Amino acid sequence: MHVYIYDTFVSDKKYINQVARVETRITDLGLNGKIVRMGLISSVSSAIENEIKKGANTIIAVGDKQIFSQAVNAMAQLLARESIGKSVPLGFIPVGKKDLLIADSLGIGSAELACDILSQRRIEALSLGQANNSYFLFSATVPTEHTTIEIDENYSIEIKEPGEIGVINLAVGFTLPQSAKTDQADSSLELVIKTAQGKKYLPGKRGAGDQSVFAFNKLRIINKKYPILLDGAKNLTSPVDIQVAPMKISLIVGKNRQF
Amino acid sequence: MFKDQKQNTDVKQAETIIGASVRVKGNFHGDGNIVIEGEVEGNVKTKNFLLVGKSAKISADITAKDARVGGKVSGNIKVQGYLEIESSARINGDIHAKELSIEKGAILNGHCHMGDDHKEGTQK
Repeated sequence: MHVYIYDTFVSDKKYINQVARVETRITDLGLNGKIVRMGLISSVSSAIENEIKKGANTIIAVGDKQIFSQAVNAMAQLLARESIGKSVPLGFIPVGKKDLLIADSLGIGSAELACDILSQRRIEALSLGQANNSYFLFSATVPTEHTTIEIDENYSIEIKEPGEIGVINLAVGFTLPQSAKTDQADSSLELVIKTAQGKKYLPGKRGAGDQSVFAFNKLRIINKKYPILLDGAKNLTSPVDIQVAPMKISLIVGKNRQF
Repeated sequence: MFKDQKQNTDVKQAETIIGASVRVKGNFHGDGNIVIEGEVEGNVKTKNFLLVGKSAKISADITAKDARVGGKVSGNIKVQGYLEIESSARINGDIHAKELSIEKGAILNGHCHMGDDHKEGTQK
């Protein structure tokens, strides 16, 4: 049975037409299932756990990157506790126009196309990043200011310029240097540091920026001022220990996925 | 001949890139190619190629399979294969290498050991 987890905002008037088109398409494709609508105080994690216990064989997050991130986390937590088998995949139907970047990277595209992708049921087992007791599919980011990074307990990194730090699992919204040897489909994470260091002495000219890339097994991010943001949706306060999660998540993806 | 050797030491894919705005402190060990344009204090070790860019400042002992140095290094450099020192390099430390090229303009203050066994030495 398919279970559709609707984000709170999906019932907004603004999205009625888009959601109606999605529901029609789902019916046409014979993918009908149960709809669980999230309220302001309801937990995605408990909703998913309950539905899987009741026999759901596919979970579909319907909404934006917030609900997708919460669903990824919930599935990963359940996998870590061995409460669910690897056979329950997670799908995503993007609603609205804000988070198409994530949908594009999964090869899903628009909401209507996402329904077709669900029916094709192309399942990919993907590794996750683990940050303390939370999980991320794409990246963990934090500004460079006030940040210290300790890698594999061997060395530390200080950043002299303002910019952004990303721990990348799947590079969405992060352009990696061409010379960097990174494999997005492998089970490893990359630390990428982007700063805006450029030709400051030439008025009106800005350098292309400076990028650093590190491979690692475990790292610790310390920033007392700014939180660490997982998949653009969840904040964690430091110190945050990051490593590759021991489990993989099964995701329904399109053939045009970017990894 | 020099040009051919230079092409062989180009970094096509680097596992680690230390940019100019980054300072690394500690023991930095890697298996893949490493590019350093920033600052490093401690030790640098890789089983592959190391490129020390023109803006790099390294206060560390370096061990690599092959290396090209164009920046400032305070420490000993030990290379199993070919070490290329560019004109912009400023090295204060001993170097060990099987093969060596030093471009005009480079500054090297230290002992130079060449060959497989690293027993023979000359001082510059």
